Amino acid sequence: MRRIAVTGLAIVALLRSGSFAQEPSTLPNRPDSLKFAAIGDNGTGDQPQYDVAQQMDRWHHHFAFDMVIMLGDNLYGSQRAADFVQKFERPYKPLLDAGVKFYASLGNHDKTSNDAYKLFNMGGARYYTYARGYVRFFVLDSNILDQPQLTWLEGALRDATESWKIAYFHHPLYSDGGRHGSEVELRVRLEPLFVKYRVNVVYSGHDHIYERVLPQKGIYYFVAGAAGELRFGDLKRSNLTAAGFDQDRSFMLNEIAGDDLFFEAISRTGVTVDRGVIHRDGKR
Amino acid sequence: MRNWRRALGYYPLLPLGGATALVWANAAGDSYFRFAQSIAYPVNEIGVTFAIASLAQEVLEAMTPGGTLRSWRAAVLPIVAGVGGTVAAAATYATYIHATDEGILGRGWPIACGVDVFFSVALARALFRGGASVTFVVLVAIVSDVIALAFSSWRPFVDRAEPGAVGLIAIAVAVSIAFRALGVVSIWAYVLVAGTLSWFGCYWSGIHPAIALLPIVPFFRRSPRPLDDLDPLRHGHARYAHFETAFEYPLQGVAFLFGLVNAGVLMRGYGTGTWAILTASLAGRPLGILLTVSIALMIGLRPPRSMRWNDLVVIALLGSLGLTFAVFLSTAVFPDGPLLQETKIGAIATIVGAPIAFALARALRVGRFVQRTGRV
Repeated sequence: MRRIAVTGLAIVALLRSGSFAQEPSTLPNRPDSLKFAAIGDNGTGDQPQYDVAQQMDRWHHHFAFDMVIMLGDNLYGSQRAADFVQKFERPYKPLLDAGVKFYASLGNHDKTSNDAYKLFNMGGARYYTYARGYVRFFVLDSNILDQPQLTWLEGALRDATESWKIAYFHHPLYSDGGRHGSEVELRVRLEPLFVKYRVNVVYSGHDHIYERVLPQKGIYYFVAGAAGELRFGDLKRSNLTAAGFDQDRSFMLNEIAGDDLFFEAISRTGVTVDRGVIHRDGKR
Repeated sequence: MRNWRRALGYYPLLPLGGATALVWANAAGDSYFRFAQSIAYPVNEIGVTFAIASLAQEVLEAMTPGGTLRSWRAAVLPIVAGVGGTVAAAATYATYIHATDEGILGRGWPIACGVDVFFSVALARALFRGGASVTFVVLVAIVSDVIALAFSSWRPFVDRAEPGAVGLIAIAVAVSIAFRALGVVSIWAYVLVAGTLSWFGCYWSGIHPAIALLPIVPFFRRSPRPLDDLDPLRHGHARYAHFETAFEYPLQGVAFLFGLVNAGVLMRGYGTGTWAILTASLAGRPLGILLTVSIALMIGLRPPRSMRWNDLVVIALLGSLGLTFAVFLSTAVFPDGPLLQETKIGAIATIVGAPIAFALARALRVGRFVQRTGRV
């Protein structure tokens, strides 16, 4: 039976007390590890999105993540060519110029045709998979989780040989966000597949907060939907909540080294609001 | 006994199934959705086939000599109003979605066109106590539903669709013609042989199988009936020879299961789709109906003799009730997930049109609150 352990939960006490301080990153920053950021619900084109993007760039200087996973709602409002510039290319220009690749999933505010936008690296598909070393990512379209997509997902999970399996999509299967919360209907469809094929970690957005959910059936769930939008004070803590932050915008940094996934959630002002490490015990 | 049979015509188990689903989904979502997803297919894609066929049979019976729609003149104004209301509902939905920049919901516009025939008719009968107004409501609802069904029955997301399979539907029609020529009376021959062929033809070609019996229904035995009366015995419909009589009790089970499978929504699952459906149903369609009737009257169409503008306003609002048919259309357009939840909540919430219609009828002194004023 696979077990995954999380350490470094002291930050929870900080979260509850509401006091944060800028601390040095505890990410190991190993040269051969996979480093990636996660942002969700970012595409407002407003100043807070630019602030978060600036913070990401600042961290990138000493933690050189080479990819960003996008958890949907990559663009709000109109989505003409100029909007792609204002809501994506301009805020993330330093990262794009540094060669960081963005891999998008579609949210409810995204046009389906955005899967053809080159810098989203979706290859014209609303759901797709890709691998980086011993990590395989499964990017789903949770807006339209139809039978062909489920059939494709099961095949892709079955065929995956990588030791880490990470899924991401817009709507969270578990969330304590007060506005939306857990998408139970999707969960009934997806969770059995994730458990059967031993998915390790799932990232989502939609609720405009940051939340780390306690492991559910051996799987870790993150909600990271505050990289542009924010629903202040919307986290309704429950027995699902491991940690959370709803006081400001945020993004995540992740590093996978061997059997460990290190993560930090960072606020718009650069404060680490959650951190920890997920250990993958199971050997295939 | 007659009251009991008439009550069955309104599918009383449907709201029971729906209420059970709502409570279950919000109290224990995982177990509800596991259950609902496990039986959704046989209910929505097989069971509903018979419900839609029953409705089609009633419409065709109303068109036979002696039925409500024996004369096209009696039907033309409500049909025109139904088309106008449907176009307005679809346009309102599309405008709302465009304004909120959630284009992914755009394909849901047929949901906004669905009208719950049975609930609308029940309310119309309660308000008007029969007559031309009730028939008007029935026709508006049927026209809306036919248009919505036509545009939502092609399912682009079905696995491996084979368009050539529509040939099976043609064979099913040919079999029905042969049965009719040979004087076959039993409804089961039509349903089991021709109906099965048609169902697989729809299924394999990517058309929603729920409409599989529609090409077969014209060959069923029929008797004339007034559309505002759902009592089958009153019109001499012999059991087993008449579809709607033979399936009277099984359809009660289908109605219960339909409510149980489809009405379970998480109350916090509302969103843009909810408001779009509500706006289109409660504002778009009634306004579209009234506008279309105004234009039709200007170009010379005539309303039923006893109908007044106040009646029409209430009739237009009765056409806002999407309920079960809009829920069904939601399941045809969206797979399980947040968009389905949003639109289903909108469909169920159109029930607020009922008290509004009643309040308006009272305020305008319409139907049971009548105090006659100026005619249309």
